[in-house]
Amino acid sequence: MSIILNKLKSWEGFLSLILISVILVNSLNSESFLSIDNQINLFELSVEKIIVALIMVFIILNAEIDLSVASMMGLSACALGWLVDSGTPMILALGLCLLIGAMGGAFNGYWITVFKLPSLVVTLAMLIGFRGLARVLVEDRSIRVFPSWFEALGQQPILGPIPLSIIIFLGLLILAVIILKFTGFGRYVYFIGINQNVALYSGINVSRVKMILFTASGIISALAGILFAARLGAVRGDMGLSFELDIITMVLLGGVSIFGGSGSINGVILSILIVLYLRNGMSLSNITGHIQTGVIGGLLILSVLIPNLQKMIHDFLNQRRKQLQ
Amino acid sequence: MFYRKMITLVPLFAMLIGSMAMGHTIANKGQRADLVLMPKFLGILVFDQANKGAKEAHSELKNPGKLLFLGPTPENSVAGQIEILTTATTQGQDGIMISNNAGDQIVPAARKARAKGMTVVTWDSPIPSSDGEQLFIAQVDFNETGTVMADMALRIIGPSGGEFAVLSASPDASNQNAWNAAMKEALKAPKYSKIKLVDLVFGDDQSEKSYNQALALLDKHPNLKLIMAPTTVGIAAAAKAMQDEGLCDKVKVSGLGLPAEMVSYTMNGCAPEFALWSFVDLGYLSYYATYLLATKQIEGIAGETFKAGRLGYYTIEKDPTRDKGLRVMMGPFTVYNKDNVEASAK
Repeated sequence: MSIILNKLKSWEGFLSLILISVILVNSLNSESFLSIDNQINLFELSVEKIIVALIMVFIILNAEIDLSVASMMGLSACALGWLVDSGTPMILALGLCLLIGAMGGAFNGYWITVFKLPSLVVTLAMLIGFRGLARVLVEDRSIRVFPSWFEALGQQPILGPIPLSIIIFLGLLILAVIILKFTGFGRYVYFIGINQNVALYSGINVSRVKMILFTASGIISALAGILFAARLGAVRGDMGLSFELDIITMVLLGGVSIFGGSGSINGVILSILIVLYLRNGMSLSNITGHIQTGVIGGLLILSVLIPNLQKMIHDFLNQRRKQLQ
Repeated sequence: MFYRKMITLVPLFAMLIGSMAMGHTIANKGQRADLVLMPKFLGILVFDQANKGAKEAHSELKNPGKLLFLGPTPENSVAGQIEILTTATTQGQDGIMISNNAGDQIVPAARKARAKGMTVVTWDSPIPSSDGEQLFIAQVDFNETGTVMADMALRIIGPSGGEFAVLSASPDASNQNAWNAAMKEALKAPKYSKIKLVDLVFGDDQSEKSYNQALALLDKHPNLKLIMAPTTVGIAAAAKAMQDEGLCDKVKVSGLGLPAEMVSYTMNGCAPEFALWSFVDLGYLSYYATYLLATKQIEGIAGETFKAGRLGYYTIEKDPTRDKGLRVMMGPFTVYNKDNVEASAK
């Protein structure tokens, strides 16, 4: 256990080092980087992704994956546009969208827990399914029907310079930390991720935990979709297309093991900051397009490579020590 | 002698007064404006050509500011365009030229840019609601496409007349349908009476399907003299099919194509002429309009006329295709043949 803890500590230390250098380079490169406007903007531009990343931490810790999150964002946004366009009152439409999220998530959970299908397959199918439904709802149109108060919620600051979506993110972040660190449920999440069978025979209701996680993932993705619609003021069938890759990248870079059971929310916060600051810094230096994608992809490869290299070196040294003895 | 001088001067004065009254703006060079040209996404030839035109205008106007060419990747086009526009606002750029791929979703970011005093101009593809946009630089009038294609058909088939067929993209593409309908309408004029449209097929803008459809047309219509493809994919595929079959002497290909893709077929006679609007000119004109707006030399209201360097005078007008919104219509088509295709292909 102490080895794992040490490793985690060093990984977070490594991330902090990267983060500090990114911040340093950015602030030297552009005077607007540290301005409050820019800081708010760079969070606002990706706020929907980082909200979903929070629940993705739980799912991956549980040794599962949810590939359907971005499609659910698109579906809930499009459903909102479609409902309001066909005359549904705004508040009711918002409620219905969250319900769609809950049902979609529970549907994923049902196949995963009852039929024991791999979440990779189930949520991949729903990645296609939810997206298809979103496209059916709005076709090739761009729907722009929202009342001005809804658009204002997505686009105007409500607390000082901070918009609602960032406040929601911070609230959910605190909630996630509390659940993961201080509740029994949080411990179950880790435990199931480390060894599902042991958890099962220890009397943990594994299915219930997984069901809750996937349903929550659906609801939060739907919420992110609503916030996305409010920020852009219009919806289209391709909203949030391939966001799941960015979301999973942030979680894995944060040191959460893809095999489950290890990782922390602190690491993910660091990796979110690294990805957002790196992207913003490159944009401010007018580096866009494929180079940006390439740099972030390279970072992910490093994040997988470095722990493995570390382990290899560690094993090698241990072996040497044994031989010497 | 004096009298004659006066006569030549009168129209000059009249023009001068006239142009002042109507607000013909001629660009005041050398003013500073940092501008951004944003395509739908990077890696597309026509957008690089637009950048070439914008660069030409940039150096011509001796703008001491910077011109940046920034675009997202194709997979991330919508979010990427919004991000670039937001960052440009943060950086304090003076103006941006957008080939909009984000529909109305770009409106909030465009409004914020406008609120910070940035000039927002669209080109190639406008903001549908025109919200947040000052001006749209439109490429061509779609009705003109019909006449251009009919004229090319007439020139290629010749005065003795003959049969031709259309290889279009897909039955659902509204611009294709509008162009084909416009061409049928144009063909009713008496000067086209000897050329006959015998078929209309669809290649779905896929190279292989278009290639096969072109060959199928030959089997169906043995007297065919020309295949007209109003799509850059279709025209290249049809030209390749005719070249592969060694039929270029008998059946010619024409339509809307990219010089870089068509240059070899034009030079070997398979596709003696084809048309497209010049994306170089579109970038050039967009730059002029944006520079003039950003340096406050024009206001961007309907009726204003300005000079865009080598392209001449343009007037800002109400956009008939959108409820609100103003446009500048570039036009006309450039017809490419042996004389000019090589220069444009570079």
